[in-house]
Amino acid sequence: MKRKLFSVLLALSFVLLSFVGAHASTPVKIGFIYIMSGPLSAYGQFAKQGAELAIQEINATGGIDGRQVQGFFEDSTGKADVALRAMRKLVFQDKVDILVGLDSSGVADTVVPSIAQMKVPLIITHAATPDVTGKFCNKYTFRISLNINQNVKAGALIANETGAKKWTTVGPDYAFGHQSWEYFQKYLGELNPKATFLSKDQVAFPPFNTTDFSSYITKVMNSKPDGVFISLWGGNLIDFVRQGTSMGFFNGDFQVLMSLGAATEVLTALGDKMPEGLWVGTRYWFLANDSPLNKKFVDSYYKSYNAYPSYNAHGAYSAVYAYRAAAKKAGSVDKEAIVSALEGLQIEVPTGVVEFRQGDHQAVTDAHWGKIAADPGYPHRILKPIRIFKGKDITPSVAETGCSM
Amino acid sequence: METLLLNTLNGLSWGMLLFLIAVGLTTVFGVMGILNFAHGSLFMLGAYLCMQSMQIFHSFWYGLLIGPLCVVAIGVIVEKYLLKRIYGRNVSYQLLLTFALLLILDDGVRMIWGSGYYVVEPPQILSGIITLFGQNYPVYRFFLILLGPVVGIALWSFFHFTRWGKTVRAASFDNVMAEGVGINVPLIYTGVFALGTWLAALGGALAAPLQSLNPSMGDKIIIQSFIVVVVGGMGSFPGAFAGALLIGLLESFGTVFAGRMQMAIPYILLAVILLFKPNGLFKKGV
Repeated sequence: MKRKLFSVLLALSFVLLSFVGAHASTPVKIGFIYIMSGPLSAYGQFAKQGAELAIQEINATGGIDGRQVQGFFEDSTGKADVALRAMRKLVFQDKVDILVGLDSSGVADTVVPSIAQMKVPLIITHAATPDVTGKFCNKYTFRISLNINQNVKAGALIANETGAKKWTTVGPDYAFGHQSWEYFQKYLGELNPKATFLSKDQVAFPPFNTTDFSSYITKVMNSKPDGVFISLWGGNLIDFVRQGTSMGFFNGDFQVLMSLGAATEVLTALGDKMPEGLWVGTRYWFLANDSPLNKKFVDSYYKSYNAYPSYNAHGAYSAVYAYRAAAKKAGSVDKEAIVSALEGLQIEVPTGVVEFRQGDHQAVTDAHWGKIAADPGYPHRILKPIRIFKGKDITPSVAETGCSM
Repeated sequence: METLLLNTLNGLSWGMLLFLIAVGLTTVFGVMGILNFAHGSLFMLGAYLCMQSMQIFHSFWYGLLIGPLCVVAIGVIVEKYLLKRIYGRNVSYQLLLTFALLLILDDGVRMIWGSGYYVVEPPQILSGIITLFGQNYPVYRFFLILLGPVVGIALWSFFHFTRWGKTVRAASFDNVMAEGVGINVPLIYTGVFALGTWLAALGGALAAPLQSLNPSMGDKIIIQSFIVVVVGGMGSFPGAFAGALLIGLLESFGTVFAGRMQMAIPYILLAVILLFKPNGLFKKGV
């Protein structure tokens, strides 16, 4: 009899112990959705590296809410339906506490409305469409990265300084390219009422899968502009710069602005083939901030991956830290508590202090632009001088975004 | 006038590149009856191996020579150990096998070189600008415009005037009869696939100074090559030439006259050809 009681007690204590043990070791789960395959997989790779670095650092310093952090990575493939499936898997199967990611604006526009039904906080770290913190904004969606308006507003401020009057554009033929041009005309038009913009059939919108840009380069050069605003990015921008160089595009007597020309993947691929003296922008420039936090981030990123962090790496890295800050503020990782904590949260990340603005949840964050310059200390071109535009000066008011929550 | 000239040159240089890729595709189809989905991946591999050989030998010309030959070695292995097993079988096996090859090659390249972008510089002698009627134009593109017809004529002469070429045509016309009169058909198939592979890889190596290298660069070009082949006529040599120039010129002038419709032009052309001339512009015949 005694033996039986003993074994029951033993079994019971095992059950209890395992329960307690399980609770203490249950990690906080973060679900990441990025493009991990196909032509744009480099962007997902950068984000994953940034996220893993942040998770490593946080786990080494006590985790979140006293628990270790675990990252779950899913491939959006850049397609909305795949991204939505990946998000459902992360939320309902892996039971993640928060979602982080999204590269493509097209994907973001489609999945953001269903975030409200899943009731999971989402921090967007790359997709730049104004709509997700504009007409599609909702309680659960936040964005830590620079959006189109902010990046283009800073570009328009520089365009205004150049004194060029007649502007044209080269941009990818989808929402991003067209919206970039639309905002550029709006902002520069406000700054300089004398600025003129070429008509729809005179500007160049090459399709996203273009590899031969020669006819577009010819078209823009023949339209004899004073300034060209280029919103091409990634492989398109690399091809454009090389073909443009061979056709004398950058020797023309017009100003050239590239809204995403300071992306590290573009500068790395082009090396010394990137023409000096162009004005280029990016969502995060690794040399733009002298803060100890940024230095530490750049150093440890370089040590881990032997490259300087791109804006996408920075976005993912910062989002994980923003989540930790929100959990600290809320005192738990309960999803609703996190959403309330993220709202209005101010946090210092490598790029500077950012604030998730109440009203539309867009981070008020600085924009980085600069002039392309050579520097023997770096394997690729860098920015000199660097221009930093304060978040409050380039972020449109909530009323302008069309967001109502 | 300037616009006309520049767009013609743009269209021709792009068309010649398309021709090199399409002619390999159409030859393999014409002789072996294989529609090779992995042709674009061989193009991509040509560009990567050209880049890699350039890093070792520091010369574009070595890259152009060695890169495509390495791809040919891969092509021969693919034909001897994979394609050979499916010649007698249903067409769906071809599609599955070559599509699987495409996926394997794309991901293999991603594993070796990563998913970032690479660029290749044209050789010094071809990197300048020529002034023509007051317009500046890159020398490298002239080089492409001249090279296309040279390769085309060389191939055409090979098939029409040499004993080997005639043997290949005989084998493609009736492989059972050819085998009956003592022609080594399996050897010819290997040779033709190697030739097709070399043309794709050469196209890739020649495209490398124009466009950035990325594991999926082949996927973009394979679609246009298919259109060229269908427009010109499946298996037709002059058809590939005419089709490639037609697509190249239409795309180039499309940016001037068609605006956003430019994207649709190759597909509209494809639909029109399929409706009115389903066999393509040129009748089949290697």
